[in-house]
Amino acid sequence: MSPASANASPRRRWRTGPAWTGLQVALSASLLLLFLLPLYALLTYAPPSEIGAAAGDPAVRAALWLTFYASGIAVLASVVFAIPLGYLLARRTFPGHSVVEAIVALPVVVPHLLVGLGLFLLLAPGSPLFFSVYDTLYGVIFVMVFVSAPYTVLASELAFRAVDTRVLEASRSLGAGPATSFLTVSFPIALRGIIGGLLLSWARAVSEIGGILILAYTVYPSGLYNGPTTSTISVLVYNLFQNGNLRYAAAVSSFFLLIAFVLFTAIRVAERSGWLPWGRGELTP
Amino acid sequence: MSRWAVEGVTAHLEQFDLGPVDLSLTPGHVAAVLGNSGAGKTTLLRTLAGFLPVRSGRILRNGEDLTERPPEHRGLGYVPQGLGLFPHRTVERNVSYPLDVRGRTDGLARSRKLLDRFGLAELARRYPARLSGGERERVALARALAAEPELVLWDEPWQALDVEARYELGRIFEELREVDRIPVVVVTHDPGLAFSVADSFLVLRRGRPGFLGTPSELLASPIDPFTARFVGFENVFARAALAREAAGSFGAWLAGRAGEGGVAFARPAVDLGARTAARWEGMVRSVRPTPEGLAFTVVVGGLSVALRSAGPAPVRWPAVGERLRFDAEEKSLHLLAPPAPDSPGPDA
Repeated sequence: MSPASANASPRRRWRTGPAWTGLQVALSASLLLLFLLPLYALLTYAPPSEIGAAAGDPAVRAALWLTFYASGIAVLASVVFAIPLGYLLARRTFPGHSVVEAIVALPVVVPHLLVGLGLFLLLAPGSPLFFSVYDTLYGVIFVMVFVSAPYTVLASELAFRAVDTRVLEASRSLGAGPATSFLTVSFPIALRGIIGGLLLSWARAVSEIGGILILAYTVYPSGLYNGPTTSTISVLVYNLFQNGNLRYAAAVSSFFLLIAFVLFTAIRVAERSGWLPWGRGELTP
Repeated sequence: MSRWAVEGVTAHLEQFDLGPVDLSLTPGHVAAVLGNSGAGKTTLLRTLAGFLPVRSGRILRNGEDLTERPPEHRGLGYVPQGLGLFPHRTVERNVSYPLDVRGRTDGLARSRKLLDRFGLAELARRYPARLSGGERERVALARALAAEPELVLWDEPWQALDVEARYELGRIFEELREVDRIPVVVVTHDPGLAFSVADSFLVLRRGRPGFLGTPSELLASPIDPFTARFVGFENVFARAALAREAAGSFGAWLAGRAGEGGVAFARPAVDLGARTAARWEGMVRSVRPTPEGLAFTVVVGGLSVALRSAGPAPVRWPAVGERLRFDAEEKSLHLLAPPAPDSPGPDA
């Protein structure tokens, strides 16, 4: 036996059997197919020329702009409100901790038409509040924050909880006050998990339709939005489908899908390559 | 150069009570805190560092009361168990951290000096995850020293270190004592290594101090069976175990000379090369070589007694099951005090 094969044999012992590997591949591939086949159907239904036409259509562009604009603000709201709540849940014990966690999980499990109805009753004209968000950018943002912020709260809570208490104690004993310790140790270490939560929040905000259908079906210019009267991309596609314009609905969807795919892939690649400031250190090989 | 005094400090954590603990630390003094898991060693360090409130007692630095000061204002270098290195900062940025957070601009320069001193200069740009255990330990200590602390609290420094790294760490302890003159409180459950560096011992058992004094005082004092095992006696027999031995046996002989808590003694030497008229006889249960010779265990009546060969390892090893004669000198017997009463302890 050559030295090389003598070295190789102990490694071979630890390899999993072909049946076990096959089972894993089969199950994983089934799920991936479930993801990919509908998208394939969508992308191949409309010819590329029609996808190009959708890309140049001012109505589609306005809807896209509104969707990214509103979802961007919703993500900012998550940064401001959801990360502190996640930190609070991770680092503090207080009466009603579990109740607060259940409240945070509620928007994830409640059907979003109900969310829209609830927000409509709360914020529509004649509501107990003094302002109306009905059919405005603010209505879209309210719905988007409602459905998307929980992902950032939950991801932040997990990320902050994963920061070793001893690391925090080391920073305090080395001269950092509570705020400095948070900014220089807790937050940077948790950042990768928090960014993951923000990405999920953003994706969820972009894809929302149920609540928006009720609260902001059509968005008229007002306040922070001065563009043309439009709707979010998901409502636009829904409208096209309802009107029987299936090919154009598929073309608009394909265009949106390509943008989302390129964006997410770029972020993931940048993250893996260490070009982004988070995830350096123990997470970078 | 600071003098520290811990006066009757008690603390409470969930179901666990610590103290009252007294310690006196002069410049360069190394105090080792010993005890089993759950004895309260880490709880004591966290209390001294300011992470757990002091229930009663005082922590004084040069006579100044620091008991209520937050951790960042105690002038400490705390190296927690697991080291607490910042995974997102490079080695040099870990070490410069205490100066960075104080807004000082000489953080990197001081960091590089310390890295040079600890032989870490080449690793300055690495992240902690890519260091060996010994390197990580040295980075943690360099970081603790960066802000020129007046006391170093070090939790389990020898944990998971290889032989070379342990040797290197021993050298660093010497430097702390001789060069920096910084007092150190070091927590460990490794008595052998504690004996090699400590000027005084605090033995904790279930949160209560079982012993406080110098290593020689520890060896001369009537310690309890737990402490005796802890400081390295390999033959420790509680009084209750001796009481079960038959009259005229080795156990009964020990019982007649034991303290209230029992008796402890180091491995008696046996001359394996000569026929001996030694008084006691036992059956060999295990044999292993050591740098000092053979170490073996014999069963005598109901007792398992650790012995060693006199001189280097002999050519002929006693076989398991073979009968061996040995003696135990009365003057080598260490009388033990009764064990301390138990109370529940945290896993600290």
